[in-house]
Amino acid sequence: MLRIEEHPILGSLKDARRVKLDYDGREIEGREGEPIAAALMAAGVRTFRYTKRFHQPRGIYCAIGRCTDCMMIVDGTPNVRTCVTPVKEGMKVETQLGYGK
Amino acid sequence: MLKEVELAIVGGGPAGLSAACEASAFGVDTWVFDEQSAPGGQLIKQIHKFFGSSAHMAGRRGIDIGDSLRKRAEAQGVHVCLNTVVFGYNDGNLAICDGRGVKEVKAERIIIATGASENVLRFPGWTLPGVMGAGAAQTMMNVHRVKPGRRVLMVGAGNVGLIVTYQMLQAGIDVVAVVEAKAEVGGYEVHAAKIRRAGVPVLTSHTIVKACGEESVESVVIARCGPDFKPIPGTERELKVDTVCLAVGLNPLTELTQLIGCRHEYDAALGGWIPSHDDRMETSVPGVYVAGDLTGIEEATVAMEEGRIAGISAAESLGKVSADKAAALRTEAIGRLTELRSCSFGRYGPGSGFKPTRAADKPGGEIDLSGGLGVIVECDQDIPCDPCEKACPTGAIKVGAPITNLPTVNQSLCTGCGSCVAACPGLAVFLVDTRKTEGDKADVTLPYEYLPVPEVGNEAAVVDRDGKTLGKGRIVRALASAKYDRTTLVTVRVDKAIALRVRGIARQ
Ligand SMILES: Cc1cc2nc3c(=O)[nH]c(=O)nc-3n(C[C@H](O)[C@H](O)[C@H](O)COP(=O)(O)OP(=O)(O)OC[C@H]3O[C@@H](n4cnc5c(N)ncnc54)[C@H](O)[C@@H]3O)c2cc1C
Ligand code: SF4
Ligand code: SF4
Ligand code: FES
Repeated sequence: MLRIEEHPILGSLKDARRVKLDYDGREIEGREGEPIAAALMAAGVRTFRYTKRFHQPRGIYCAIGRCTDCMMIVDGTPNVRTCVTPVKEGMKVETQLGYGK
Repeated sequence: MLKEVELAIVGGGPAGLSAACEASAFGVDTWVFDEQSAPGGQLIKQIHKFFGSSAHMAGRRGIDIGDSLRKRAEAQGVHVCLNTVVFGYNDGNLAICDGRGVKEVKAERIIIATGASENVLRFPGWTLPGVMGAGAAQTMMNVHRVKPGRRVLMVGAGNVGLIVTYQMLQAGIDVVAVVEAKAEVGGYEVHAAKIRRAGVPVLTSHTIVKACGEESVESVVIARCGPDFKPIPGTERELKVDTVCLAVGLNPLTELTQLIGCRHEYDAALGGWIPSHDDRMETSVPGVYVAGDLTGIEEATVAMEEGRIAGISAAESLGKVSADKAAALRTEAIGRLTELRSCSFGRYGPGSGFKPTRAADKPGGEIDLSGGLGVIVECDQDIPCDPCEKACPTGAIKVGAPITNLPTVNQSLCTGCGSCVAACPGLAVFLVDTRKTEGDKADVTLPYEYLPVPEVGNEAAVVDRDGKTLGKGRIVRALASAKYDRTTLVTVRVDKAIALRVRGIARQ
């Protein structure tokens, strides 16, 4: 499991409401308040999009909203930076191909 | 929509928050804007104890320092606006964007404290998922509580690479190696020592050749490199990892100061282009001040002092504090800054790298145990730091002034209380006690910050400073106390013959 439940300095993971996401047709659980990217990483997802010209995979790179590597199609909107966009119940998250259009 | 304020501060890291605390203390109407969802800047990810003096909350963890700065600022009426990015500057007004839209802020004075961003390193495969900045990995594990990977190669042995490696081990992630192209470790030796004793090899004169994998990183190739940092053919080896973390320096985030039209200068040792400023932290544009990593990659301690100076100067120019008082406060802060900077190192930037002032290879062998007690202080570089001295109730440990002095121990004054072992942010102090042990045994007390905490009564393998197993010992005590702040003091009973060399307990 990639969730850090117990931590020597940060303590036990606090309870948070669980939200369900639809990731490319698969159900994934996230913790309320966390960014989409964290929920995906916790579920073992590493590739978030493919580039337009060379179809190269991209994943998390900066995790603070700067590099745009983590963009996905969220509820139909392409180019959403998933590392700074919080999860919402029932959100639909799709791997983005190229510009996502 | 136009909002009018006296002082706008961009960036809510240690520099921006310290500036806000000073200015608001003089009654300045102060607004802090930060694009992140929590204030503290880099500090929200720094779960380790910091160096410095008590004026910089030394010995406390970065997260808690950030928290107290925020609380103080808010208590003084500072408006901290989160999720708010400052993206433009027009006719003297800042353009900001929060969740609800775009606004203009007209501020009489502006302090820019935007910090720094991570450098990138290009190599074949660097765009593969699984290759990420060390800061990204830190955000994932320490803020969002998700492991960024299972097996990691860390690139860069500056303080960031060393500290993030240690934090990965704490999160239960395996770090297979740290590679550093330079011939020497760039970060503080005490940070390197924490991971070496945990068995992570720190490979200097080594570089990453490529990251391999189809969909994401499956392995990496590393190689020895020469002084030109080029891989030496024939020395390549493949390591199975799923993650590569890049910790190859930071560079000041000058976008806003550029937009505002401040004059900049280039300083490679400080991380690149920085806004020129005077000793009030005022830039070439009157009324615009700067502080923190933006003015050169240094440390949070420095960022706080610079923030204070900028806050005081802004308050002074707004007529909220007399010139005399402001000058006196500035002089004090500049004095502390000079002391911090007297370290032969003291930077997190690419220019880092410093010379030990005392032979690093000190096995602790010269310590005389005839009095029954020995304190081993493995702190051999002039770090600006003194919690060991502050923690010692008997005055056995001395740092003195300047704060970069190496600690010295008067073993005859030591009572064996262990406070220094818990207080040292470098986890560099160890206590050997033979007063209660019989025969050829000795008790070694060491700082421990992993899970699970070793259980009293259990047998444990003990390791030396390189992580090599020295033998077995029995855990006789595991002491956690609020005053030790999440560092557990573990005491292990071992053969006297190895006691002076024990630096850790093999992790389970
Ligand atoms: C791994 C690591 C370990 C460290 N360990 C130590 C240590 O042990 N001791 C120590 O003293 N120092 C340490 N440091 C260094 C310390 O964290 C930095 O020197 C310090 O945080 C710099 O403070 P700052 O306020 O200048 O910038 P930051 O802390 O980077 O804060 C800048 C803030 O500005 C915000 N911002 C930037 N641009 C904008 C914009 N346009 N609009 C709105 N907001 C914006 C950012 O989101 C950020 O919150 C460490 C750094 C790292 C990376
Ligand atoms: S063990 Fe206690 S008395 Fe001895 S040096 Fe450390 S703090 Fe001082
Ligand atoms: S031994 Fe003292 S000076 Fe050295 S790192 Fe530890 S607390 Fe700081
Ligand atoms: S990972 Fe860089 S913007 Fe999301």
